[in-house]
Amino acid sequence: MNASAWNMLLEGAWTTLWISGVSIAIGVTAGLILALIRIARIPVIDQLLVLYISLARATPLVTLVLFIFLSAPTFGIQLERSMAGILALTLNTTAFNAEIWRSAFRNFSREQREAAMATGMTPGITFRRIMLPQMIITSLPGLINEMSFLIKGSPAIAVIGIVELTRVTNRISAVTYEPLPPILVACVLYMAIIGCLVWAQRITERRATRLAM
Amino acid sequence: MPETGLEFSKEPTEVAVSIRNLSKSFNDVEVLRDVNLEVKKGDVVTILGSSGSGKSTLLRCINWLEQPERGSIHIAGERIGVTDEGRAMSVKALARVRAKTGMVFQSFNLWPHLNVLHNVTEAPIHVLGKSRHEAEAHARELLDKVGMSHKADAYPNTLSGGQKQRVAIARALAMQPEVMLFDEPTSALDPELVGEVLAVIKSLSAEGYTMVIVTHEMSFARSVSDQVVFLEKGLIIEQADPETFFTNASTERVRKFLERNK
Ligand SMILES: Nc1ncnc2c1ncn2[C@@H]1O[C@H](COP(=O)(O)OP(=O)(O)OP(=O)(O)O)[C@@H](O)[C@H]1O
Ligand SMILES: [Mg+2]
Repeated sequence: MNASAWNMLLEGAWTTLWISGVSIAIGVTAGLILALIRIARIPVIDQLLVLYISLARATPLVTLVLFIFLSAPTFGIQLERSMAGILALTLNTTAFNAEIWRSAFRNFSREQREAAMATGMTPGITFRRIMLPQMIITSLPGLINEMSFLIKGSPAIAVIGIVELTRVTNRISAVTYEPLPPILVACVLYMAIIGCLVWAQRITERRATRLAM
Repeated sequence: MPETGLEFSKEPTEVAVSIRNLSKSFNDVEVLRDVNLEVKKGDVVTILGSSGSGKSTLLRCINWLEQPERGSIHIAGERIGVTDEGRAMSVKALARVRAKTGMVFQSFNLWPHLNVLHNVTEAPIHVLGKSRHEAEAHARELLDKVGMSHKADAYPNTLSGGQKQRVAIARALAMQPEVMLFDEPTSALDPELVGEVLAVIKSLSAEGYTMVIVTHEMSFARSVSDQVVFLEKGLIIEQADPETFFTNASTERVRKFLERNK
């Protein structure tokens, strides 16, 4: 492998990272918002969200990516490839994250909430100051798990022509006729990314022991 | 002497809690039946009664953690839960009245993500809008009062039950409530830790705090109370000063209860 092959690989890794990163950031936040809306149990909206969540969880990523990219023009939307990729990954991961947040909310200790209310905290203050910080700690292992699923599923965006870390190995071997070296490097890079996540997960789990009273 | 408006308007400032005609049901079972109780400022009222008699429910109605169907509760002259127009209070208004009460739970219910100091300062900062500096100075005083200042930086999971409960007391005191509500504050403690918590509560009564205490500790109730109330199936069947209550109860039911809980 020559220098230009290395360059292409790193560029592919960068594409994977930033598209996944943006999707994760939006997906974690949007998941929390959806979870809170679902907890409020607003009629109709609740049913719509349930429908979205089950659809998004049941649809294969590749299919979702293709569908969004191909259907956007019929709705009169000009969607860049990377935007279509982010949208698909986000729609997928948000659905899973919403369920993680929702279970963290539902499992939150009633006693602790009552203790907060008893000091005169409104439900809003109780949520921000007492519940959310603990929900983040208890949800992080699940959220990080979902992040690694998203990164491992991200090659799906190659189907609309985005040259990410897996796709780029194809491009390189088309020139060098040596498919093995680039794919090995890609594997190592994926492992490095996932490894960072697992490491972060360990740290959060250690912090979570404080909550187990 | 004829009642004057002046005397009447003075009344709310001298009564910390006034409960009138309170009734509460869970699934059609009446748990509190027409309860009337007045707690004067500075008084300690203990509530006794067998398991399931409605003691916790009564206490939890006072700060509106449970909503009664009938009756009214005033904290320092202000009605809790219901507006002057008879509608349910907004969450903000309710929280403001609730802040006039402090509650100590059987299971402590400290917030595990905050250290001891921040458990105590959280509500003063975010409810009363105190500065962190002011809240921490006050919190350290209170932790000192309950003998926990040496653990200010510790997290709740590193404390013993008795220590947790003393922090919980400081947390409730930090809001400078009109009345402190204790729901069996020592029932979850190992026997050797009960004393330290009761000692703190006694010191508060000596300082003139108004308190309503549900407890199974008879000798403690006898020594700390100004008034003892006995609940039976949601009814107050006996209410007296501690001497009368423990030596000369008028109902057979209470005499039996005291016999069994010696
Ligand atoms: N949330 C609830 N839903 C249904 N029933 C309830 C609820 N809370 C309490 N009860 C019932 O109301 C009755 C009174 O309960 P409460 O907890 O007030 O009794 P208590 O005097 O505090 O008893 P203990 O000494 O065991 O704490 C009990 O029969 C209890 O089962
Ligand atoms: Mg009880």
